[in-house]
Amino acid sequence: MTGDAPLLLDLAEDDPDALMQLYDEHGWGDGLPMVPPTPERVETMLAAADPDETIAVLPPRSGIATRRVIAINAVLAGCEPAQLPVVVAAVRALASPELNLRGVNATTHCVAPLLIVHGDIAESAGYNSGLGAFGPGNRANASTGRAVRLILMHVGGARPGPGDASTQGGPAKYSYCVAENTAQSPWGGYAASVGVESASAVTLHCGEAPHNVHDMESSDPVPILDKVASSMATLGQNNAPISSGEYFVALCPEHAAVCASAGWTRRHVSSYLFNRATLPVAELRRAFGLRAWAPWQQALADDDRVSMTEHPENIKVFVVGGAGRHSSVIPSWGMTKSVTVAVGV
Amino acid sequence: MGEQMEERKRERIKVYAPDGAVGSPAAAPAPSVPVLAGKRIGILDNAKPNAGALLERLAQRLASRTGAVLGLVETKNAAVAAPDEVIARLQSEVDLVLAGSAD
Repeated sequence: MTGDAPLLLDLAEDDPDALMQLYDEHGWGDGLPMVPPTPERVETMLAAADPDETIAVLPPRSGIATRRVIAINAVLAGCEPAQLPVVVAAVRALASPELNLRGVNATTHCVAPLLIVHGDIAESAGYNSGLGAFGPGNRANASTGRAVRLILMHVGGARPGPGDASTQGGPAKYSYCVAENTAQSPWGGYAASVGVESASAVTLHCGEAPHNVHDMESSDPVPILDKVASSMATLGQNNAPISSGEYFVALCPEHAAVCASAGWTRRHVSSYLFNRATLPVAELRRAFGLRAWAPWQQALADDDRVSMTEHPENIKVFVVGGAGRHSSVIPSWGMTKSVTVAVGV
Repeated sequence: MGEQMEERKRERIKVYAPDGAVGSPAAAPAPSVPVLAGKRIGILDNAKPNAGALLERLAQRLASRTGAVLGLVETKNAAVAAPDEVIARLQSEVDLVLAGSAD
């Protein structure tokens, strides 16, 4: 399947303001200035790849994301050609049925796909996995996340209103991309831990913006992870009424090192959080109808406590960031599963 | 040099539209039922607040005005497509289905 060639439009001058005016007439753009996608810039972005190959068809618009259409949006977002393979792989991942993109795009929740870049391409294409990785200040992180958002809006039709019903929207809907700090991960790379043994990979997790976890003083995993658990166990997030939801726990290198030096593996961290991130059943029953709970959770008594997710494997752990002792929790939208795919060239 | 760059910037240029083509929908809507008298009305409750009450009341009023009868009521999660077995039950038990309710 291939898409028709994208339309070429006349632009008064090679200028971001002129482009914004032109695009505004069509309802395109994210509100920030964009790089005009001239044929020359798009050809440079594509390099030798087949421009007409369909990578994915994105709901709710059923827009056909060919490599050329992806490259156009990458130019708009300010990407360099080195980052295009990550954007292409991310679009491929967006189309995975378990990610449930139709729901992600259309929901009233503030969900946005977080991209986590793994492996060789994180370094070769200039991604930031260290200090300030969630931004701002790095072109690769900022433009890759923005390219994916522009593709969701332009190709997938996820414009606020007709295709994106998010009640308040959210800053993560502008750009949401980090690289994994594999060099400082005591447990190796995340992608390999979920069975993707590729030199480069990208994970998409459709979740909320990061919730901070601050622990400056602990030299033992327990007080650090208890704070992580506390951030996970709150009533306002979708994971509270939806038991199948995932959490991504983004540990800073210093918190990860404390856990590893005590002999804790990635799985140990997930298992501990599964048992500590709990709420009283009665409290959850007061707050929700519980219709999206697993049957075994519905059978619990009011004075039991229940984990915020039905299985430890729903708690995903990776390392990101630089010096300092702030980690974060990224709760899921709920009815979505993260996807990790290899990045080609 | 600066003047040349300004001149080039002011030239009319071509830029791509960013949205690409639209693919064919995976399935076309079924034709409407021409006469409702004697037909069975199903409900697919997506579990949004009050969806069940709204759809049931709608089905009752439709039935009383047209001579249709209320048939099967199924429930699904709002965020995902209905499971195949739910669709199969509705397909075998009713002639039309009332579905969809937002927040």
